[in-house]
Amino acid sequence: MATIKLLINQKPFTIDADPRMPLLWALRDVIGLTGTKYGCGVSQCGACTVHLDGNPIRSCSIPVSSVANKNITTIEGLSPDLSHPVQQAWIAEQVPQCGYCQGGQIMTAAALLKRNPNPTDKDIDAAMQGNICRCGTYPRIRKAVKTAAQLAKATTK
Amino acid sequence: MRKFNAQEQLGIEAGLLPTEIQRRDFLKLSGLSVAGLLIGIGPAKGATAPEEKPFEPNAFLSIQPDGRIILFSKNPEIGQGIKTSLPQLIAEELEVDWKSVEVRQAPLDNRYGAQFAGGSTGIKTNFVAVRTAGAAAREMLIEAAARRWQISLDQCFARNGFVIRKDTNEQLSYASLATAAAKLNVRENPVLKSRKDFRIIGQSIPGVDNAQIVTGKAEFGLDARPRGMRVAFIERCPVFGGKIKAVDDSAALAIAGVEQVIRIEPTKNPTQLVAGVAVIASNTWAAMKGRKALRIEWDLPAELPESDEALRSRFEKSLESTEVLRDDGNVIDSLAKCKIVHEATFEAPFLAHAPMEPQNYIADVQADKADLWGPTQVPGSVRQRAAEITGLPPNKINVRMTRVGGGFGRRLMADYACEAIYLSKTIGKPVQVVWTREDDLQHDFYRPAGLFKLKAGLDENGQLVSWHLKATTTSRYVFAGSSSPAYQTEVFPDGFPAGFVKNFRMEYAPTSSPVPRGAWRAPGHNITAWVDQCFIDEMAQKAGKDPVDFRLELLGEEDRLMPYSDHGGPVYSTRRLKNVIRLAAEKSNWRQAAPKGIYRGFAAHFMFGAYIAEVVSLSLKEDGTPKVERVVVAADCGLVINKSGALNQLEGGIIDGLSSALRQAIHITKGRVQEQNFDDYPLLRMKDAPPVEIFLVESEEDPEGMGEMTLPPLAAALCNALFAATGKRIRKLPIQSRDRVTT
Repeated sequence: MATIKLLINQKPFTIDADPRMPLLWALRDVIGLTGTKYGCGVSQCGACTVHLDGNPIRSCSIPVSSVANKNITTIEGLSPDLSHPVQQAWIAEQVPQCGYCQGGQIMTAAALLKRNPNPTDKDIDAAMQGNICRCGTYPRIRKAVKTAAQLAKATTK
Repeated sequence: MRKFNAQEQLGIEAGLLPTEIQRRDFLKLSGLSVAGLLIGIGPAKGATAPEEKPFEPNAFLSIQPDGRIILFSKNPEIGQGIKTSLPQLIAEELEVDWKSVEVRQAPLDNRYGAQFAGGSTGIKTNFVAVRTAGAAAREMLIEAAARRWQISLDQCFARNGFVIRKDTNEQLSYASLATAAAKLNVRENPVLKSRKDFRIIGQSIPGVDNAQIVTGKAEFGLDARPRGMRVAFIERCPVFGGKIKAVDDSAALAIAGVEQVIRIEPTKNPTQLVAGVAVIASNTWAAMKGRKALRIEWDLPAELPESDEALRSRFEKSLESTEVLRDDGNVIDSLAKCKIVHEATFEAPFLAHAPMEPQNYIADVQADKADLWGPTQVPGSVRQRAAEITGLPPNKINVRMTRVGGGFGRRLMADYACEAIYLSKTIGKPVQVVWTREDDLQHDFYRPAGLFKLKAGLDENGQLVSWHLKATTTSRYVFAGSSSPAYQTEVFPDGFPAGFVKNFRMEYAPTSSPVPRGAWRAPGHNITAWVDQCFIDEMAQKAGKDPVDFRLELLGEEDRLMPYSDHGGPVYSTRRLKNVIRLAAEKSNWRQAAPKGIYRGFAAHFMFGAYIAEVVSLSLKEDGTPKVERVVVAADCGLVINKSGALNQLEGGIIDGLSSALRQAIHITKGRVQEQNFDDYPLLRMKDAPPVEIFLVESEEDPEGMGEMTLPPLAAALCNALFAATGKRIRKLPIQSRDRVTT
């Protein structure tokens, strides 16, 4: 066990945990943020995607001790009020079916748009490749990423 | 009163569920359903303000005096959108503004009747009953208003949460009428709205939990956190049918956070508990580590372990002694006389369900009651199993439904809930059982594998006059020890082309296996549509006819209602089937030559009351593997309740059909499943997901389901397109098999 300082969604937390505990379980079991999902445990499905200093990472496969004091954003912290363009686009395009993977999809899409505000279909496919949707919402996800890009442009104008 | 207990224990706001108090002591108002009866007697005016009460005429809705309109969705939400579409039915008849309603998941409660997600039946079987609940409330609110105004019922109508007086346009809000309406006798036979007046049914309504989902706040089973909850991971015998011989748990118990190790002995019925060793810990990570530290010696079954090869040879043996399910004309004589006789063998593998939310369940079993949470398609079965395991009466068992991260048939089984119930009972604490993805892929109830041998013949005019199917599958009903015939939900004796081929024989034999089997999206159809629609394509080619024309010719000019004894019957309409075939052909420009480098395949299928036709267009990549460019779907599923939800389901079925046909298979070696995670059980990813264009037939027919229907024809349309591209028939799934890569 070790004392680990975390910065999650701009808030500091000090936790007492096994340093090898994956960030995913620290978020869910210790911090109590359950929006980040467990899907495979081996970085195959992307349901556990969070941002580490703005970049998408798979929280199931990264020890909590290695992200101490770094800036972690989870789906709960993407916006305070549902206002992030990707969240707005997901609602507008009515993407979810079961909804379980969508937090991870949204975090990956948000990171993509941050570094590439005008993604092509190919860019979207490449960025979203690590996120599985078992319900098959890919056509709507692709559309929603494009809608989000438009929304982001409209708000920054 | 159980219902009060359930509400309190589950944290549901008191007063939101109707009590069983009948309002029989109030004025008996016989004849009130006759519109126009003048109501002269109402609550005394000028009396002290009555206590404000919510209006809850049935379990489906609650109108609060503060104006909130709460609708309860009775069935589990597994991604099929039922939590939106069922409340739409209530709201339509209740005459409220959709934006004003709040939707809640109902708990398991006998007042709702059957509560489950299976067979794409949620809308179809509740279409009348759920609307009736809304209509009864609407009529009572109108009555309350009529009494207040002292006018006849037909002098008012309801709209957007108000009762409106026709002569003066005065309005009374439902909120202001709630207390008075609550005192009226519940309407038994309200008049349902005419379909032409639907305002909410048929619209594209966003999923009611979408805002919660995109902010990470929606509660799935894995997210529920009752106080004092322990987490359990279970090491199950990797070989089906094995038992525990010895357990060394010393290393596991030495791990910080690990509290107990519990042996689980298998139940006689393999759909309940299998042999396993559970590690109970204070948190997930400790339980995972503890499980890895277990040293278990298994007592493996004495018989030869199952393998793909062994199963394949038993399939062949099964086909030596089949039962004849249908025998029209004389198929043997006919085949002997046919000008062209063609035969082929099709093989389909076991498939896993792999819903994104791995199996998990929470049980809190106490001396006098049990509280249960989690993702399930069958909350009623969970309660039944809990009663058996705990000895508690069912009315002391509260089942709360969380959102379910995918079903696909996997969560029609209550095995993982049984584990949680058993463990909680044993340790006397709330326990959440969590499965890893590996557990999920290795201990599923798999889509049955099967072998299908077909022989068909054309006469001198190229007419299909003979069709002979001999099929065997690892019947799921045989595995579950069901009293239903082994062939049911495996093959369909009334399915096309039965009834259109003069000489037609269907034979079936089940093949046993220790590998667990269950219902997988579109059970049976997910293989038979592939087999039938591929072989029809082969026969069209042998006849030198266009595949679409060949199907239409078989169905004939005359519109007929064909007897159909399975789910979706008792008949199906050739008019509706031909209609979707023509529509898909038209929308895909089937009659025009495909662009260079594009190859197309066709398939059509009837199941569960719905009619689907699909055209897959693909190109070939440099390595010869297919890239699906576009899928065109024509669908007649009757009246559509939620257009957006319907399209989402139909699109999802296409993606799932493509995902499974291309790469998925569960392989068995030495009695155990080889696949472990998404790296060797690949699900389709974004770049391989084609655009899907869906054309819904405008229909006045009653609504059918949406969740399963587009999947079955996809594999056939895909394989037929591949034939167009390569000249090779695919008769073994998956198309990009690992076997095929290595051989």
